[in-house]
Amino acid sequence: MHKPGKSAYPVLAILAFMVLAPMIALLTVPGTSFIESESLAFWKSAYLRRVLIFSLWQAFLSTVLSISLALIVARAFARHGKFPYRSFILKLFGLPLVVPAVVAVFGIVSVFGSGGWIPLGRSLYGLNGILLAHIFFNLPLAVRLLLPAWQSIPKQHWKLAQQLGLNSWQQWKYLEWPALRENLPGVGVLVFMLCLTSFAVVLTLGGGPKSTTLEVAIYQSLRFDFEPSQAVVLAVLQFSLCAIVAMFSFRLQKLPEVEITSSSLQCPVDLKTLALNSIILLVAVTYVAMPILAMLVDALNGPILQVLMNPKLWRSAAFSLIIGLSAAMLSVLAAWLILQSSSDLYYIKQKRKAGYLEMVGSIVYVVPPLVIGTGLFVLIAPRFNVFDWAIPIVILVNAMMGLPFAIRSLGPTMRQNKMRYQRLCESLNLKGWDRFKTIDWPPLRKPIGLAMALVTALAMGDLGVIALFGTPETTTLPLLLYHQLSAYLMSEAAVTAAFLLGFCLLVFWLLEGLIGGGGDA
Amino acid sequence: MSRITQALIAVSCLLQFVNAYAGKQTLTIYTYDSFTSDWGPGPLVKKAFEEQCNCTLEFVGLEDGVALLSRLKLEAANTKADIVLGIDTNLTAEARATGLFEAHLISANNTTLPTVWNDQYFLPYDYGYFAFVYNKELLSNPPTSLKELVENADAPNILIQDPRTSTPGLGMLLWMKKVYGDDVSIAWKKLSKKIVTVSKGWSEAYGLFLKGEAPMVLSYTTSPAYHIIAEDDQRFAAASFVEGHYQQIEVAGLVASSKQKKLGREFLQFMMSEKFQSIIPTTNWMYPAALAPTKMPPAFKGLIKPSRSLLFDDSEIAANRKLWVNEWLEAMAE
Amino acid sequence: MVEMLSISQLSFSYTDTENNSVMPMSFDLQAERGEILSLIGPSGSGKTSLLNLIAGFNQASDGKILLDDKEIQQFAPAQRPVSMLFQSHNLFPHLDVFTNIALGIRPSLKLSNEEQQAVGEALVTLGLEGFNKRKPGQLSGGQQQRVAIARALVRQHEILLLDEPFAALGPAMRTELIEVLKELVSRRKMIALMVSHQPTDALLASKRTAFIDNGGVTSIQETADLLNNRQRKEILNYLGPK
Repeated sequence: MHKPGKSAYPVLAILAFMVLAPMIALLTVPGTSFIESESLAFWKSAYLRRVLIFSLWQAFLSTVLSISLALIVARAFARHGKFPYRSFILKLFGLPLVVPAVVAVFGIVSVFGSGGWIPLGRSLYGLNGILLAHIFFNLPLAVRLLLPAWQSIPKQHWKLAQQLGLNSWQQWKYLEWPALRENLPGVGVLVFMLCLTSFAVVLTLGGGPKSTTLEVAIYQSLRFDFEPSQAVVLAVLQFSLCAIVAMFSFRLQKLPEVEITSSSLQCPVDLKTLALNSIILLVAVTYVAMPILAMLVDALNGPILQVLMNPKLWRSAAFSLIIGLSAAMLSVLAAWLILQSSSDLYYIKQKRKAGYLEMVGSIVYVVPPLVIGTGLFVLIAPRFNVFDWAIPIVILVNAMMGLPFAIRSLGPTMRQNKMRYQRLCESLNLKGWDRFKTIDWPPLRKPIGLAMALVTALAMGDLGVIALFGTPETTTLPLLLYHQLSAYLMSEAAVTAAFLLGFCLLVFWLLEGLIGGGGDA
Repeated sequence: MSRITQALIAVSCLLQFVNAYAGKQTLTIYTYDSFTSDWGPGPLVKKAFEEQCNCTLEFVGLEDGVALLSRLKLEAANTKADIVLGIDTNLTAEARATGLFEAHLISANNTTLPTVWNDQYFLPYDYGYFAFVYNKELLSNPPTSLKELVENADAPNILIQDPRTSTPGLGMLLWMKKVYGDDVSIAWKKLSKKIVTVSKGWSEAYGLFLKGEAPMVLSYTTSPAYHIIAEDDQRFAAASFVEGHYQQIEVAGLVASSKQKKLGREFLQFMMSEKFQSIIPTTNWMYPAALAPTKMPPAFKGLIKPSRSLLFDDSEIAANRKLWVNEWLEAMAE
Repeated sequence: MVEMLSISQLSFSYTDTENNSVMPMSFDLQAERGEILSLIGPSGSGKTSLLNLIAGFNQASDGKILLDDKEIQQFAPAQRPVSMLFQSHNLFPHLDVFTNIALGIRPSLKLSNEEQQAVGEALVTLGLEGFNKRKPGQLSGGQQQRVAIARALVRQHEILLLDEPFAALGPAMRTELIEVLKELVSRRKMIALMVSHQPTDALLASKRTAFIDNGGVTSIQETADLLNNRQRKEILNYLGPK
């Protein structure tokens, strides 16, 4: 009997430490304890109830909308292999992830605001705005993560579908949906987590305090009210909610019952579907491109040279890149170690346990970086010089936040490799590095390239933890952008934002090209 | 990567060593990051002070005044800060209550504040008033009072910030409270019809305003000065309200656990000097706390002067802030 | 009218995306009703391409495919009188046996009583009674291929294309299934083309066998003669010395 690898456990132990230690540290900070009467009133308040309901409701709606639209778009993409600039568009689809929240808000407003291209007026502010923004962030991500599912459908099934004359709906039902069931719950949970923890976008486009998420309440407790223990309990609450949703969706997951083949898609396309697909793709691309385009227009009206000549911009870019790349490497390594174990468990048919491993690795995402960062600060500050620790901690926290993306990207291929080659490798006594190099690496190149690109971009666009330390001399691009914004330099900030996007696109292109070996996902 | 980290750490250690060898002291100031950014007063202040002190000034730039205070609470007696610069009068009572500050022992009689300053722990370095900024070309007759804005159904729409996450947002909350007292909930309900959105921070709201999302945005009376001086753009003005404007005074204090109190006091003294004060107007876009009006940039003279400056006692804020925020939340929830 | 499948100068350019090479192909052959014509030849010679052309998965650049003198190339795959069986992945793993077969009649699965009966009969014909609720994963390889044949049967299409359908099965099972097929093809007057790498399969199934090499049919003979044809170098190379 094949013994499942244990590599996930040290990683999960580190993750647990990284989450629990800061929380426990925060609980020891003097402040109101969460069982005192004043605090009890908070837990019973209508405010908290409203926040809870709203957080879940907007996250649920955003997820359902983003995922359903992503399915339509991904399907059109999968069936339209020769859509012009396909691989460029897929790279463009990696961009919304890096757009700092405030810039995205400006982009969305440039398109849908009262002076925008498609003016929605005041009705933009409220659930509409939140959904528009969340679809902008998550639709492209979901498309990228779902697209590989189509490649896992056996070639023969497409031929059968053609021969049996299955119509579009029947193809969906018999071929595509079963193939998607492996990935969909995971991608859904990821999008749900992203929407649940959304902060500035929800607050600003939400039109008022009615649109308050738990993340806002956590920020409020930790910062404005300085009640660390209340923040910790809220964070635990958010984590538990997410865990419940994850477990629930996990039940919907169904792994393919046959060995997955990787095939170049050969599905029948008639002229009518071709036209329809083209329209769907055009609409999706336009939707994602519009806010980005609006940012570029703002940038073109800004003092481009002046911003680009500032050496600080380049220092920040280099610094962001170092942080991003390091976080991505750590994240991919951690994901790989977790998936090593979980795919072993899949292999010996302990699917549930395997799923839990991956889930635990993923949902640390919902623990707010503010809570982790502040807690780590409490741990480190009395003993060491915090500034020496700032960079490693920023990298570590960003790696944690990137983990669900890395797990999503690598998971399916890691499982396939295990199912297909495990016995062969055992019989050939292929192990360790040799096996990785010759067997696992070639099919993993593309997903690793994607994961590296996603996590790097995510970390590069992140403002979170670095701002917490206030380390002198270290500025990331998003931080520079915020400095410009708070110094009234809106047009400079627009140029910096465009630079950040262009820089990320370049990094995407390089990482996916160098590691993934060209082509698209 | 770890090598790069190590290298960075090594370099920073080396720098500290070099400083120590040169016999230079380092004064660490915790402040907010827009103070230390390239466009803020930080770089100029550092240069000016280092010229006279034979020391190194090190800024630690945190998110905002609130982040400053919570950082201080977290670090308590272990803090590396010698000076904390950038909390405002809404937070001074809480800051004093931490017991981490020491009396500054510096005379504050040269201040040019509209009120007399007699705080023993904190010294003011600048101040300003919250106000609604508008574009004169797009809005010809702005409301002339907070009451008009609240009660006149035809009053223009506004953008404000959230008091839970931003200083101007809290300022607005206190402004309303000062004007409406116990009736503030009803007033907020009326006002909420005109609020396009409540943003996380000042940047979001101001950016949306410049994009034309609303005719007026909550900012400072001094904001138009930026557009006049830096952009030569005369279109923006702040609406003057007859009830008066809520005031914000930004202060600095000496940390009790500092090992360099002499140097720290030297800095506080410097902070009240003309050198420091004349940097403030065009970098922090606020009124300096101790600068003769004749030394002010001309553009500031054209700004509106509030007839009354409104300010709660800091202990009153400390006691009621949560209560008032909840009151606001309830009023806005409907 | 001649009751047969007649393929003439059916041309196609096979593009190998891996090394960017193009292989021109052109096929000529005839097969009669009731016959299983075996196709043998080296890998990459064009056997599967020929089946794909007949099924309509690939479009020929030139040439004719006539069934009983009628051209079928203008039809989409679903409209052609063709059923195809692959070596694997013939069944949808998440659907039960009955549904997998029923799909062959009506993808909407809204079957009339007669059609349901036809599925039942096909199950009986192939010795699959009582298996209708099973999932493919619960069947042996031979049983899975029987289900696939049953589906071809209910479709009642005249041309049956078999792409190494028995490659994964043991000798006893192959013999058994070939007998089943032979009986069905001759009883229903179908025309079957079977790609195989096993000379024994060809001997068992086919009176005649075509040898395919380098994108064309190089000879069609009585199976036994072809397998003993030592003059043709390509056949010798393929079969190896005795």
